[in-house]
Amino acid sequence: MTLAARELWRDFTVQRQVVGGIIMRELMGKWGRRNLGFAWLFCEPLVFAFPVIAVWSAVRAPYEHGLPMVAFIWTGYMPILIFRHVTGGALGSLRAAAALLYHRRITPLDLFIGRQGTEALANLGSVAVSFAVLYTIGAIEWPYNYSLMMLGFLYTVWWCLCVAMIVQVLSERYEIVFHIWPPISYLYLFYAGFLYLADWIPSKWRPIVMAIDPPLHCYEMVRSGLFGYRMHAHYDIPYLSFMLVLLTVFGLLLMRDARRHIELE
Amino acid sequence: MIRVSEVCKDYHSETRHQFHRVLSNISFTVAPGEKLAVLGRNGAGKSTLVRLLSGVELPTEGSIEREMSVSWPVGLTGGVGPSMTGNDNIRFIARIYNKPFQDVRDYVEDFAQLGKFLSEPVRTYSAGMRARLNFALSFAVDFDCYLIDEVIAVGDQRFQKRSYEELFEKRADRTLILSSHVPDVVRSYCSGALVLHRGRAKMFDDLDLAIAIYNEL
Repeated sequence: MTLAARELWRDFTVQRQVVGGIIMRELMGKWGRRNLGFAWLFCEPLVFAFPVIAVWSAVRAPYEHGLPMVAFIWTGYMPILIFRHVTGGALGSLRAAAALLYHRRITPLDLFIGRQGTEALANLGSVAVSFAVLYTIGAIEWPYNYSLMMLGFLYTVWWCLCVAMIVQVLSERYEIVFHIWPPISYLYLFYAGFLYLADWIPSKWRPIVMAIDPPLHCYEMVRSGLFGYRMHAHYDIPYLSFMLVLLTVFGLLLMRDARRHIELE
Repeated sequence: MIRVSEVCKDYHSETRHQFHRVLSNISFTVAPGEKLAVLGRNGAGKSTLVRLLSGVELPTEGSIEREMSVSWPVGLTGGVGPSMTGNDNIRFIARIYNKPFQDVRDYVEDFAQLGKFLSEPVRTYSAGMRARLNFALSFAVDFDCYLIDEVIAVGDQRFQKRSYEELFEKRADRTLILSSHVPDVVRSYCSGALVLHRGRAKMFDDLDLAIAIYNEL
């Protein structure tokens, strides 16, 4: 190995140890040893999701626009939960964990990967668990194309991590982010495709909406994977990947500068 | 060697659109094995300097080069989670610094003497117990240079004596940067002093002169 490669490998090893330490710390700090312990990781989102699904399916018809209601709400709500958990936790999280940055080996990016990564995995776990439960009780059918559905959720997570990275750094710089985030995350419901399909958008507007709405592509993938021929899906994986790569690079650039904006007590 | 060159540090004012310059154009070097005292009144910028040296904050201008490993400020909570047990904290430090858990645990157990409390959450500890754990964790990882921000006198007499032994005798070959208000400590352990006043710094080899000037500030 060349010297540069060896150094890169050493840095990578350090980062792996540090991120591992942060994940373990996060798991213990968040869910503790009492109560349900690690199981809580998967139950927490369910406690939110099931009452919402129950209420919605009670007040709406079982089929709307040819789609089963419970499954439609499940696909709408799970990505919202992922978004809220992953981005909400990022708000001001550097400040909260600043004491950890006294350890020179820990970088803001390590903290981000450790904490938001744990959150994202926990949410993917709850997607799997809630699907299993709904499928077992017969509330949801087996997906038409489950790998497409899974890919949709993975892209959802990627999108949420991009937003979280940007929000984390900006909230460290600008106080106002704390105030505008709650309304933004509420308005996000309408932006993301929580309650609609891309197909319902008038066709002359659709290309414009799809161009500026990465989460809508994710929704379409999830729903297309679950419902298959029962809906007309609109998504563009290369375009979505391109947008998310851009956002990731932008987020990493912001993150590189993050230490400069940290002010401790 | 630690080389601090022309370092300035500004902080935002919370109420007005302006900056407070806490450190202004500070330069000095610390050689391996040197014991440097940092003297200054409250608000002179001692803690800011320690934070910059530890690397948790970056200077607004200038640069700090480190050619040795620098500790986190000794005794600082350093991210000890209140709901984590003593053992969890040991495991965390061992993990991020890549030390065998058992080694770190043995050391902390011996030094902090917390006994069975190591398996209790840190939030149940008394202030003294917490300080003992934090000190032990700082010493459990080997650094070339230790940063100490004021709090060196924690715990009871016996623990203080052990901390002094650990720092000044067992680690006599290491570099120390010690911010302190206590002239006796500075006089008996340090080889030079940096006096901070209104954001400016001056280095003295003559400790008595440095302490005399500090007392006049």
